[in-house]
Amino acid sequence: MSTDDESIPNRSNQAAMRFDDAPERFRSGHRSAQFSGASGVLFEQAMAQTRMAICLCDPNQADLPIVFANRAFRRLTGYSEEETVGRNCRFLQGPKTDPEPVARIREAIANEDVVVVELLNYRKNGTTFWNALHLGPIYNDQGKLVYFFGSQWDVSDVRAARAEERHAKEMARELSHRMKNMFAVISGIVNVTGRVRGIQSEAAEINARIQALGRAYETTLDDASSGSIDIGEAIRAVLMPYDRDSERLLLTGNGVRMPFTVISIVGLVLHELAANATKHGAWSSETGQVSVDWRPSEDGSTLVIVWSEQGGPPVDAEAIVAGTGTAIVERLLATARGAIERDWSENGLTVTITVPARSAG
Amino acid sequence: MAHCVLLLEDEPLILMDLEFAAKDFGYKALTAATASEALDLITKHAGEMTVAVLDVSLGEGRTCYSVTQELDRLGIPFILHSGDLDRHDEQVRELDAELIAKPAAADKVIGAAIAYALGEDPDRVRMAAE
Repeated sequence: MSTDDESIPNRSNQAAMRFDDAPERFRSGHRSAQFSGASGVLFEQAMAQTRMAICLCDPNQADLPIVFANRAFRRLTGYSEEETVGRNCRFLQGPKTDPEPVARIREAIANEDVVVVELLNYRKNGTTFWNALHLGPIYNDQGKLVYFFGSQWDVSDVRAARAEERHAKEMARELSHRMKNMFAVISGIVNVTGRVRGIQSEAAEINARIQALGRAYETTLDDASSGSIDIGEAIRAVLMPYDRDSERLLLTGNGVRMPFTVISIVGLVLHELAANATKHGAWSSETGQVSVDWRPSEDGSTLVIVWSEQGGPPVDAEAIVAGTGTAIVERLLATARGAIERDWSENGLTVTITVPARSAG
Repeated sequence: MAHCVLLLEDEPLILMDLEFAAKDFGYKALTAATASEALDLITKHAGEMTVAVLDVSLGEGRTCYSVTQELDRLGIPFILHSGDLDRHDEQVRELDAELIAKPAAADKVIGAAIAYALGEDPDRVRMAAE
């Protein structure tokens, strides 16, 4: 009749659960309408089988003693039925139990309210667990308070996970801040060096690329631990400075998750296309538009980005090909075993970029 | 007498970058690495100051808050130049001031600050400087 041995394998034990005789014993000692007949049998079986630790306390006896505790309760706390019945629930508290939730329990009992609290409880062997305790009054047909029902759930793991998640969020934020600062300092170095060496426009060009990369990387921090990124957010961030009003830039792709390794290429390529569109393409006129779509290829091995310009001035292919940005994009994609296809139609430039999406690992 | 831009920034490379950019716009740059340096400059040059660009976190938990209070008192416009406003304490967040997120190109920061102070379109300010 003592505590249930947790070392017994679950499957055979589940069958044995039906032979938890605590509910039956409780029922025979509390012959009232609520626990007789079919509902009584259901009560008995449910109490015996549930993995939720449950106890009933009697508000009509001095100091609200526990009058029933199911098997899961005994398993959770390590106390046997004999050690549990007749005692007030506070026997599970210990030196490190916070008095605040305890006070809330006391208040709920006094007001016959339902309360849910999390408090640190102690097992028989002295170890602790975080108990999500739900407590509420149970009335009979006549509206008379007959029991307090308590269900307890060990949420130690949940709490640990929550703490870890909070910590991870703080780390991500700190990392994000340091990264922004680092990019700002790098920008400073490039600009100042450009001034001192008299190559300001080159420095500005390099800086624009660094900034585009910075914006792309920034979006990857929130779920850095997952190893993959939402490429849509990165695309949006890279192109954000060009999006003076919603008429100019149309992003039609959806959230596609890609391995982290594609970020530099996507960031730099889109930056160069945007810079070209500003100088020679759709964005050099007031009414020009760029729409950007992205999707994974059928087999998921590549990311395909389609950049289409409309409403710009007549396309001058020579002017676009000549830029250093174009050379960089070509080299970069060739090195990454990707591809870029440019198609000049009357309406404007359409570029299809293919970036391999194999993860580094 | 050139108009001045007050620059408060504890990272010297960013400060230098902003200083060059301010000169490009035809403004004299007054540079400070700490709040007290900035307050000194305000005392001496308040009359010439068009606008201030303030880094929010100045290391060891110090912020530009005291400087914003003095600028407000004197009616000198300012913008905040910071990586992440959420990190800052209540005081700074409640300022509800104009913000340029780091990292941003130095000429964008200065252009935006001057435009904000003069109530003009940032693109127009830049063109006027060129």
